[in-house]
Amino acid sequence: MHKLKMAAALAAMLAATPALAKEITVWDVNVDEPSHATYYDHAKAAFEKAHPGDTLTFLSQPDAEYYTLLGTALASKTGPDVIWANGGAQAKNLVGGLIPLDDKLPDLIAKLVGKSAFTAPDGKLYFIPTTLQGHVVYYNKKLFKDVGLDPNKPPTTWAEVTKMCDAFKAKKLACFMMANKEGYEAEFFLSEMANQSLTSQQQADWLAGKLHWSDAPIKAILQTWVDTSKAGWYQEGGNSQTMFMDEFTLFSQGGAGNVWGLLSNVAHWKVFEKDMGVDNVGVYPMPSPTVAADQHAGAPGVPLDGGVGYGVNKDSPNIDLAVDAVKILASPDVLANLVNDSGVVPANTLVDTSGIDSPGLKQIMGWLANRAVPTTHANSSAAELDEWHHQSQLLLNGDTTVDAAAAALDKVQAQVKPQK
Amino acid sequence: MGLLALSCLYPIFFAVNNALKTRHDYLLDRFGLVQNPTFDNFVQAWTRSHLDQYFVNSVIATLGAVLLLTVVSSLAGFALAALRFPYRRFFFIVILSSLMIPVQVVLVPYMRTMLALNMINTHVGLILSYTAFFLPFSVYMMTAFYSGLPRELIEAARIDGAKLLQVWWHVMVPLGMPALVTLGIINTLNCWNDILIALLTMQRNRTLMVGISALKGEYSDQIPLFTAGIVIAAAPIVVLYVIFQRRIVSGIAVGAVKG
Amino acid sequence: MTAKTTSQSTQGVVTRFRSRKSRRTEARVALLFLLPAVLLVLVFRIIPLFWGFGISLTSATSTSAGEFIGAGNYLRALDDPNFRSSIANAGVVLLSVPIFVTIPMLLAILIDQGVPGRAFFRSVYFFPVVLSSVIIGSIFSVALSFNGSFNALLKSLGLPAVDWLGRSATALPVTLTIQSWSTFGMGVLIFLAGLSTVPKDMVEAARLEGAKMWQVWWHVIIPELRPIIEFSTVITTIGLLTSMFGLIYVLTGGGPGTATTVPEYLIWSAQGRLNQPAYAAALSIILFVMTSILAWLQIRIMSRNANL
Repeated sequence: MHKLKMAAALAAMLAATPALAKEITVWDVNVDEPSHATYYDHAKAAFEKAHPGDTLTFLSQPDAEYYTLLGTALASKTGPDVIWANGGAQAKNLVGGLIPLDDKLPDLIAKLVGKSAFTAPDGKLYFIPTTLQGHVVYYNKKLFKDVGLDPNKPPTTWAEVTKMCDAFKAKKLACFMMANKEGYEAEFFLSEMANQSLTSQQQADWLAGKLHWSDAPIKAILQTWVDTSKAGWYQEGGNSQTMFMDEFTLFSQGGAGNVWGLLSNVAHWKVFEKDMGVDNVGVYPMPSPTVAADQHAGAPGVPLDGGVGYGVNKDSPNIDLAVDAVKILASPDVLANLVNDSGVVPANTLVDTSGIDSPGLKQIMGWLANRAVPTTHANSSAAELDEWHHQSQLLLNGDTTVDAAAAALDKVQAQVKPQK
Repeated sequence: MGLLALSCLYPIFFAVNNALKTRHDYLLDRFGLVQNPTFDNFVQAWTRSHLDQYFVNSVIATLGAVLLLTVVSSLAGFALAALRFPYRRFFFIVILSSLMIPVQVVLVPYMRTMLALNMINTHVGLILSYTAFFLPFSVYMMTAFYSGLPRELIEAARIDGAKLLQVWWHVMVPLGMPALVTLGIINTLNCWNDILIALLTMQRNRTLMVGISALKGEYSDQIPLFTAGIVIAAAPIVVLYVIFQRRIVSGIAVGAVKG
Repeated sequence: MTAKTTSQSTQGVVTRFRSRKSRRTEARVALLFLLPAVLLVLVFRIIPLFWGFGISLTSATSTSAGEFIGAGNYLRALDDPNFRSSIANAGVVLLSVPIFVTIPMLLAILIDQGVPGRAFFRSVYFFPVVLSSVIIGSIFSVALSFNGSFNALLKSLGLPAVDWLGRSATALPVTLTIQSWSTFGMGVLIFLAGLSTVPKDMVEAARLEGAKMWQVWWHVIIPELRPIIEFSTVITTIGLLTSMFGLIYVLTGGGPGTATTVPEYLIWSAQGRLNQPAYAAALSIILFVMTSILAWLQIRIMSRNANL
């Protein structure tokens, strides 16, 4: 009798085991960001409603150590179920530890923009992008008036950019902000200059490592980097200027006429419209010195790609649940919170942005629809970008030549993107 | 000396001053005195970012490791500095050379070892890791300190017929007090401020500094929030240090050698 | 002086009285005292080191074990201009070691000799050590920027502004100065502990014999501190080569160019951002060997008369 009871209890326990509460862990560096709070809260609530008893846990990770931690964890077969990453080189480095998502979330993927930043060389998508990141120029309308320019007519060609910068120089003001302490300005510059000057075939060759730093189109960009600096477009001390967030703060305080800014998270339309006043900030896509055969003069493109995204660890014990967590993080109604609170541009086209009252965003959304071009720096390898950080600083200081810099960069490129 | 002291006070002022600012005010002016002080950063750090839970973990790990480090390193330092045994130099070199291992080279092997020992996400695992990582420094310091002591102090105790363990407890520990207290302070700081080891070892149940370093944000634009975290973390250390100040001074006086 | 003579005589007595058996006991007990330390170091440091050496001979990334490539990563390091300049920077860093050791020692002696307000100094010097390098870095990267307060001060004195952290020539010396300022408190603490082993009556006796202050320092105090000076030199060398990452990361990001890139910084970037842990392991092994040789040399030079 007694034994029977125990056996029954044991059986009940065993039967209950499959239903044991599971926990899905997400690693992300933005969990403590106050403007992201509502987004994570909604994602958690939606997940726990869809899977009663299970929990979705977000762990905030320090940015400086994030990829070291992630690499070590993946190499030791531990780590979270869901992995956050920046699009481009970082995401592509990690694909060996993730599962491809094409077959798991086909309906969602059909609605996404910015997938190339998260697509591996095998053509499969390993992260679901949640935000888009792109590069446009923000300008200070009041300073435009001060130097005698029409604040409602931003430049659309390189000749007009040059004329604009001459006007700023005449008044001893910086035309563009330069913040290259970490080498980020050089990254943005690469994409902004390539946006019109490379053909789409050249952009594809760049991704594949077939277009080299010493090839004419790229070397011309390096030369422009040096020439614009020599022409006095930037404020002094650009090599010791921090980009996040000092450069953008200085810009909103009138430190320069223009700044190469972002579309999502920080340094974008929402921040500048709030800090400088809606009427005082304008936006335009950056023209290039040369216009490639398949691009349109007077209508520069906007470098655009996936910003950040979420992938699933292939060693996760609960892959299906983790996939569902990713799906929820990228779903329109949950993502709408992030769009409203922190002003990101969503990668999911089903998110409704029409309610946001921003003249800057309306213009940007128009360009994104028909002028998006690849983000050249996101299609570079991490090692090349690292070397470009170094070389761009040496070029600014006059410590090296364009030829020597291109040769050093070629060497790194050949190492990480070997050609057969 | 006075100017140097003033410059050392400045970062504390900078930290407290900016922890009271909003993110926006900080970006606009980071050296100016706070205009509209707010405690939001402290509240946010303590509650939403769970620093309250992480605090407990840090206290447990730091206390455990510092105690263990003190005992193990003073025993080993005594042996290396004052006792005669074969391969003494070899053991000293093994411990000393492990001080020079850059942490990156052992990351993956260390993680695998911790997994094999089933010590991931445990306090014991973190305490042992801290002890192992900071031990070479501690043993080296105790060896250096003990070899500076006049030998006859040890020999005298041994002539009295005392067992070595008693010599350690009754002679070496009291004599070593100045170094042990200093070592305790240094190890407390090392454990308390560590990020990397705790980040790997405690993937769920985190420590204070890991939580705080995550406050900085992807774009390092949450400095006031981060600074509030640093003030929360530094406060107990500073308070303890200032309180123990007298204790340390008198500890050193007691330990002082009469030649 | 008296200490030395008693020391010699007791040692003689002890040696005569010590039997073989007690020596064996001593060896056994000593090994027992060492055991916990050796075990911990072996399991968590030495074995992982050999394991890491194994990884350095492969082409592993964080998500694949890679294949055996022998000395490939080491040959690559020799051919890597960034690694070469990081070694050159490490050389400059090492030149600053004497400053890092001497200043805390002098300050500690001053405090120990009873400078007025010693308790205050002892507390306050410790403060920068407690704070995160991110805070120290945030202060200086703004104060030293081209439009920062330091240049404003120079301009008001009629001196030209300098881009301290943006020029290759100044970035590393400035970074080192900030590093030494933010860590000297630790050195003061260590020397204060060491000073307690200096017999007070020796100092008194020298004073009574009419020795000047610097003579007391030079002939009495500093010789007695020798083990601590040696310790401090070795520790400072290792510290400069393996723990400047936090400050460099915030202050200069390793630039301009590679002006402030030290081997440790390169290892961090290979391990994390570049996802080349095997290359990072190889660089680490090279750094380990370099540091070991340096430490060995330092100990050899300084312990010519020592008993270890």
